[in-house]
Amino acid sequence: MSTLETPSPPPPPSATATVRPLAKKRARPSEQLFKWLVVGLTAITMAMLICGAGSISWSFLTDKPSSNPAKAGFNSALRGSVVLMMVTIFFAWPIGVAAALYLEKFAAQSATLTERRLRERLTTGRVSGLGAGWVHARLWWLRIRPRVVHLIDVNISNLAAVPSIIYGLLGLAIFVGVMGISKSLLAGGLTLAVLILPIIIIAAREALRAVPISIEQGAMALGATRWQAVRSQVFPAALPGILTGTILAMSRAIGETAPLIVVGGVVFSTAVPSLNPLEAGNEALLAMPLQIYFWTDQPQASFQAIAAAGIIVLLATLLVMNLVAIILRNRYSKRW
Amino acid sequence: MLLALAAAATISVLVTVGIVVVLVEEGALFFTDVPITEFFTGTQWFPLEGKFGVLPLLNASIVIALIAAVVAVPLGLGSAIYLSEYAPERLRRVVKPVLEILAGMPTIVLGFFALDAVTPALQMVFPGLGLYNALAAGIVVGLLITPLISSLSEDAMRAVPNSMREGAFGLGATRRVVSLRVVIPAALSGIVASIVLAISRAIGETMAVTLAAGTIPNLSWNPLEGMQTITAYIVQVSKGEATRGSLQYDSIFAVGLLLFAVTLVINIIAVRIVRKYRTVYQ
Repeated sequence: MSTLETPSPPPPPSATATVRPLAKKRARPSEQLFKWLVVGLTAITMAMLICGAGSISWSFLTDKPSSNPAKAGFNSALRGSVVLMMVTIFFAWPIGVAAALYLEKFAAQSATLTERRLRERLTTGRVSGLGAGWVHARLWWLRIRPRVVHLIDVNISNLAAVPSIIYGLLGLAIFVGVMGISKSLLAGGLTLAVLILPIIIIAAREALRAVPISIEQGAMALGATRWQAVRSQVFPAALPGILTGTILAMSRAIGETAPLIVVGGVVFSTAVPSLNPLEAGNEALLAMPLQIYFWTDQPQASFQAIAAAGIIVLLATLLVMNLVAIILRNRYSKRW
Repeated sequence: MLLALAAAATISVLVTVGIVVVLVEEGALFFTDVPITEFFTGTQWFPLEGKFGVLPLLNASIVIALIAAVVAVPLGLGSAIYLSEYAPERLRRVVKPVLEILAGMPTIVLGFFALDAVTPALQMVFPGLGLYNALAAGIVVGLLITPLISSLSEDAMRAVPNSMREGAFGLGATRRVVSLRVVIPAALSGIVASIVLAISRAIGETMAVTLAAGTIPNLSWNPLEGMQTITAYIVQVSKGEATRGSLQYDSIFAVGLLLFAVTLVINIIAVRIVRKYRTVYQ
């Protein structure tokens, strides 16, 4: 205590250290070394990744395969991919967005008001028999709901990390085995839909979360129910974000190979699939990555060249999808 | 209407249940024919001769994931440190989305890259290297997971509040010391989790290893040899016409169950690491 209170004696003016001018202060060698190490690693990463993707395209844009019989084959792969994407989106988008809406906007809300209302109904005795049972069931649901929602949360993030080939096994056993769908574009599309479902849910939830709560509260203050507020205020505001996430999920699905091989095998088919998604159940499972795999797996060098050409088409498609997503994000993203 | 929304949310749970039920049910069929002890202790995997010892496949998956980690951890961490601590904001805003796009690169493209560019380059260094080898597969899988590590680690490092950096600078620390002694320890849980997640992704990776590492089961730690991973085996069987109900058909579900269990355990470890060691800064 006493040591704190005694004032320290001021240092004698002669004892101050000479100040080194800042300009003469050199960075120590270890500093420079570390900085350049880090810069170098970044540069190597970017260079390897970009050249890796780029060199494939460039070397094969310049030397085209002379014999070109399989070129027509890529047409059917392209059509197959288009139909696959239509089937995938048709199933994954509504379910994914609905799940996100429920988890983000309805399940997470506080239930005290509803609970009080239900209890009032029980105590006033206005309900009896079956009605009372229903009220009890709703009360029980409200009590366990937070735990169920947490379980679904954990489950979705785990699903997003499951290897894609496992989804192929799921599709093979359920869609082909149990439901008896032939090894077709429909079975492949359904498998991809299951694969991107968690991705769409996560992206849509993030988009919904970005809409400030005041929008919803404002609508509800004017008399809208929560459902009306979500439907006509929150959902439209979140739509660009949801679409961006959907496009990114589709770009994941369009490059997936492994689950499609597991579901449908690698078939060699000269048939050109119809673009009508309603006929997807009868069309052989063809897709761009499958065709590329088929060509890459062949020993002859000419097939390698065609495979590279196919890769260019696939990468170009991906690039376009990503660009659309970025433009959509920049154009419609709002700062609230 | 609300019920319909709730039903949609339940579907995601059904998917998980479906995965587990399918793998266990079909895998159980396999284990009625092949004793589970033989599956886990056998050192030979020749399905046509009825030898089902999973160790060569599991070993190959682990070897390739380790090579990938050796490639990806320095590259990913180095670029994360640069982007978070050194890079000007404008550069960061360009590089970050590019990294995220690259993380979504189809793995079939990387497999082709391995066969077409990496293996020939390696053959110049190691003469006599076969076309199919674990090293090339590991390197491209490393490239695949580098953006993942870099992007997630960078997020973790940027979450460290600036006041901590400024405090260290105020005490005379240099940028290197701030990066290594302040930011990395503070963001360690996120960084480790990103590496663990990346390894899980590497184990589940399929097309690149199928194309680059070959289809011959081989219990070996030598990365210059070809080997078949779990995922490559599943592809090899599915590619042909394995009839439903045959032992081979069942075997892909058995190894799939093993793969699912391994990646699930790794992911749970990652979540645990984050939850246990995360420090929340205001």
